[in-house]
This record gives sequence, structure tokens and C-alpha cells, in this order.
Amino acid sequence: MAGAYPWLEEIRLKRMVVSDESLEIIAKSFKNFKVLVLSSCEGFTTEGLAAIAANCRNLRELDLRESEVEDLSGRWLSDFPDSYTSLESLNISCLGNEVNLLALERLVSRCPNLKTLRLNRAVPLDRLPNLLRGAPQLAELGTGAYTSEMRPDVFSNLAEAFAGCKQLKTLSGFWDALPSYLPAVYPICSQLTSLNLSYATVQSPDLIKLVSLCEKLQKLWVLDYIEDDGLEILAASCKDLRELRVFPSDPFGLEPNVALTEQGLVSVSEGCPKLQSVLYFCRQMSNAALNTIARNRPNMTRFRLCIIEPRSPDYLTLQPLDDGFGAIVEHCKDLRRLSLSGLLTDRVFEYIGTYGKKLEMLSVAFAGDSDLGLHHVLSGCDNLRKLEIRDCPFGDKALLANAAKLETMRSLWMSSCSVSFGACKVLGQKMPRLNVEVMDESGPPDSRPESSPVEKLYVYRTVAGPRLDMPGFVWTMDDDSALRIS
Amino acid sequence: MEEEIMVMGTLEQLSSVSPLSSSSSSSSPTTHDNNNINSSINNHPSSSSSSCSSLCVSNVSTKRTDLSTDLRLGLSLSPSQQLPSISSQQIREHRSFDCWPPVKSTLRSTLVEKSQTTSSSSSLFVKVYMEGIPIGRKLNLRAHHSYHALVKALSHMFKTTILCPGSHQLPLKSGNVHVLTYEDQEGDWMMVGDVPWEMFLTSVKKLKITRADRC
Repeated sequence: MAGAYPWLEEIRLKRMVVSDESLEIIAKSFKNFKVLVLSSCEGFTTEGLAAIAANCRNLRELDLRESEVEDLSGRWLSDFPDSYTSLESLNISCLGNEVNLLALERLVSRCPNLKTLRLNRAVPLDRLPNLLRGAPQLAELGTGAYTSEMRPDVFSNLAEAFAGCKQLKTLSGFWDALPSYLPAVYPICSQLTSLNLSYATVQSPDLIKLVSLCEKLQKLWVLDYIEDDGLEILAASCKDLRELRVFPSDPFGLEPNVALTEQGLVSVSEGCPKLQSVLYFCRQMSNAALNTIARNRPNMTRFRLCIIEPRSPDYLTLQPLDDGFGAIVEHCKDLRRLSLSGLLTDRVFEYIGTYGKKLEMLSVAFAGDSDLGLHHVLSGCDNLRKLEIRDCPFGDKALLANAAKLETMRSLWMSSCSVSFGACKVLGQKMPRLNVEVMDESGPPDSRPESSPVEKLYVYRTVAGPRLDMPGFVWTMDDDSALRIS
Repeated sequence: MEEEIMVMGTLEQLSSVSPLSSSSSSSSPTTHDNNNINSSINNHPSSSSSSCSSLCVSNVSTKRTDLSTDLRLGLSLSPSQQLPSISSQQIREHRSFDCWPPVKSTLRSTLVEKSQTTSSSSSLFVKVYMEGIPIGRKLNLRAHHSYHALVKALSHMFKTTILCPGSHQLPLKSGNVHVLTYEDQEGDWMMVGDVPWEMFLTSVKKLKITRADRC
């Protein structure tokens, strides 16, 4: 690429392995390089970052969101030269070690266009005020660890610094949040549109106090510590809310640890007329609640529900949740993304195939009775792009019957289903424009009978043919040979 | 397009398909925490989730499990991430991707940590002495998350300047300037700051604040 496009300005990669060498090449080859976004990437160290810092004179954005970086030292940040002032967005929240804090402070204060700063956990709270004072124009902030010895001077310093950020609209971070420090952000709550508290392990009363002040809030990510009561307050206070994500504080516990049920979601669906995107982890659900939510919010476009226990029925009637999800797809005519959970039969897929005409992405786990379920979806959802399925009794028939559909989709993922190796071979052989990849860690699939099911199947359309860089447990089914190992 | 396979099936053709047995034997015994979940619809869910949970929790601290919050558990495992030259530390534990519920690894590790710190076994109180003062203090190292925070807390506690690890400027004549040292598990006295914070926590036995001109 370096040879072909020397004027390349932006590179955005997701879930890729990136080496330090690659970063060095980027740093040295593209004179006008401006934007580097590495999302969930890995394979590089802080040395690679040092190369970027030292060489990219025009860098505007460095975003390492959720990448796994081998953090050798925090020194790399000092490699931004003193003359470098063009930084607009920095996201180092994934880094494990401390960066050189003085260098960070100097960098932040000399970049007048810095709008986004997402710190990592290792940046202590008492250093935050200095950083904020250096960048009063900041629009998005991710704090570091939000805890410190409780000292009034630290607190007032922090509150003052927050109050000085008149343009701050987005807050995140809040690792290890100490409730007594949360009020430091109260001065700016009324201007916040986006709040990510998913690392703030604080209890409902503290969350409620915070959230009830955020009258302009459009997006809230929070742990289920907020409970039904908190969501009721949210529904009453944040009338502009568009997106809600509630994460489980104890995902692997067997018993509920918080008073969060379907009721919380119902309250928000009633109180927030603009709510269109939901991700909700809970432990009980009913068809009645889903019906109410669907009728309240026909403008819903993304609905992802995760009932923590697989195959949980309607807790009131002990029936499958088919009708509830059916109501969602029927009433929410613009629904683009749906994730199912709970006890579900083929019937829910019939509803989805019938009503989910705008559906683009569907996630299914522990659901359905037979191939008919899969067939309903593949044959009915005209706009389906991505389908991911795990632990469902879907097999060869529906897959092969709808093979052509797969070419109209971006990808299909099936794991722990009942698709046989033989069917994968057939699919691969007959559909040359699809990559049919089988992943099986117990050995080459052809060491077992053709009828035995594959662990994982990934099918996607391609113009480039099979991949050549796969590790040993991935096989492409194609027409050259029934089995090709890269 | 070749002739023989059904490229566009019809509902009629498929409605005669008998429901597949719910015991999808898709996983060989060596894989899958969710083997139990798979085995039958009537399987009591709690036993399966607990086996999953113990596996999931134990994997958290050692391996990266790149689960996204949606169900795309396997897709997050990009097979291309496996390189032959990667050390054993970095070999991905693919099995752990089968965890349910689909919670991001970064969130999961924070929650696990939180549940551990609420139990006393994870606080780490060590003795701290300052040179010249016979009575020592005690400090919970787990209340701090970085060397910087630790040094700051100690500077405040002992009312002195402690140089941050990594700052290489030792004043020639140091009066009230100190550095931080620690005794490790082998009984050796070491400079604080050379190893990553988490590793330091596993090897530190006690702390000593020493005058800078002594080092």
C-alpha cells in the first residue's frame, strides 16, 4: 500500500493482527497520515505506537479502542514532538500501564483542537483536573480510575475542572468509581448527551442521583445496579433517550443479585418516546412485557435482549417467548437488528420471517426446534445481511435449500448446531462465490464421518477466493478439493 | 449454477422434515464449556451455566476473550490472530469463546475483579517503613492501581517527596528526597517500578522509603 497510495490519510482496522513493523511502515510512508483507528486489534506493542507518535506530523486521530496492546512502557507518548499540535482525538483506554503523565498533560494542553480524550485506567483521578484545564474545549472524555483517597481539595479541584468544560457532552471511563466522587460531575450533567457507566460498580441510589440530572441524555450504558427503580427515574428524567444498554453485574451468578427485571425496560419504553436502540441483560421476561414494549415503541430499530439463563420461558406463564418477540417484529416495522433469547420454538422464526422485512442482523442462541426455524429466516427476511446462530438444532436441509440466499448476505455464522461436514462440502463445492469455512479444534473434519456435525461454520461471500492465512483448525470447503488446509 | 442441489427450497419440502433431536452432538468431548447446555433441552440450565461460569471466570485473568456484547461469540475469534511465532502466553484459549452470557471480556474482568475485591482475601496490606523512623505504617496496595498512585499516597502519608519510578533524575544532594524500595519474596531489596504493576503486587512483601542519596 505504501507504494500505491502515498497520500493515504486514514486507516481503520477491526479485529486484525497488526505488527509493530506495520505501524512503523505506516508512520514512515504516509506523509499526510491523519487517522489511525485500531478496533479490537492486537499484535503490536507500545514501540509501534512510539513510531506513530514520532513520525506522523499531521496525525489527528489515534484510537486504539479495545485493542490488546503489549504495553512495554508509557514512554511512547513522549515521542510526540513538542511541535506536534494537531491531535483531535486520542483513545488509549485499552492500555494497561501508565503513560508518562507529564507528557500527556503537555500534549493535551498544546493541542487546541483536541475534542476526544479517552484515558486508560492507570491515569489517577487527581491528575484529571490538570488535563481538563489543559483542554477546556473537550467534547468527549473517558476518565481513568475514578477513585482516590477522599479529600475535599481533590474533590473541589475536580468539580471545578469539570465545570470549566462547557462543551463536554460525552463521559465514559469511571473504573472503580467511588460514589463520593460522582458529584464532581454534577455541574455538567445537564449538558451530557452520552454517558457510559458500564465500569462504574456503584449502587442504584448513586446512579439515580447522577442520571436524574442528565436531562439531555441520549445514550446511557449502565450496569444493572441501576435496577428497576433507577430505570423508572431514567424514564421520567431523560425524555431524549435514544439508546439504552444495561449490562449484568453478575453474569455468571445463578441467583439475581439486583432488583432488575423486565419492568425496568417496560418503564423506559413507556417514558422515552425516542428510544430506538436497546441492549438489555436480565433474568426474567414475559410475553406480556415484550408485547407492551413493542406497542410502546414501534420506532425501535435495534432490540437485543439477553435473558441470562438459556431457554428461560415466560416467567408468568411458563410458555415460550415466541409471541413476545413476534410482537416486537410485528410492531417495530423498521427493526434492523434483533437478538433473541429465552425459550423459543420454530414459531418465533415464522414471525421473524413474516414480519422482519427490514431486519439486517439477527442473533440466535439456544432456540428453535428444527430446520424449519432457519428456513423461515433465510427465506423470509429480505434484507438479512448477518446471521449468527449458536446452539440451535438447525442442520443441513435449511442451509442447502437456501444456499443462494447466502450470496445475498454478508455472512452466516453457525456454531454448535447440526450442520454436517458433508453438507459443508456440498455448499462449498456448489457455491464458488462463497467462502465456506469450517473450524474444528478436534482435528480435520474428514477424519470423522461426513454426517458428523462441524463445531463452527462461517460462510461469507467473496470475490477474492479462499483465504490463505488460516490457522490449522480452519478449513475451506471449495471446489478444488473437498478439503483444503492452508 | 449447477443443477442438482435445491437452491431455493420451499416450505413444503421442508415441512416434512422431522424436528431434529435436540441433543446436537456437535461438539466433541474435548471442546466446549457448553457441552452440557447442548445435550438436551430438558437439561437443567443451572448446572450447565455453572460449569460454564467456572470455566469462564478462570479464563478471564489469563486469556483474552474477545467477546462482543452480541452473540457473535465465534466471530470475535478471528482465526487469523493465531501466529506460529506467538509465545505460549498469547495462545488464545478458543474454548472460552463459547461462554454465555455474551459479555465483553473487558467488562467481565472488571466485574470479576470487583467481586474479588469485595472479599477481604484480595486486599494486600504491607508494612511501610521510612528510613530513620522506627514505627512503620501499613498500606493496602490493592487500593491503588499504579505506581504513581502508590507513590502519591506514600508521599502524603509520610510527608516527603518520593521520586516516581522511571524518573531518572536523582538530585546530587538530596535532602528530603526519597525513593521507594521493596523486599521481594526472595528477601532481596529492589527498586520499585521496574516490573509491571500487577507483577509487583505478586512479589512485594514490604516497602521501605529510603533516602535518595543512598541508592
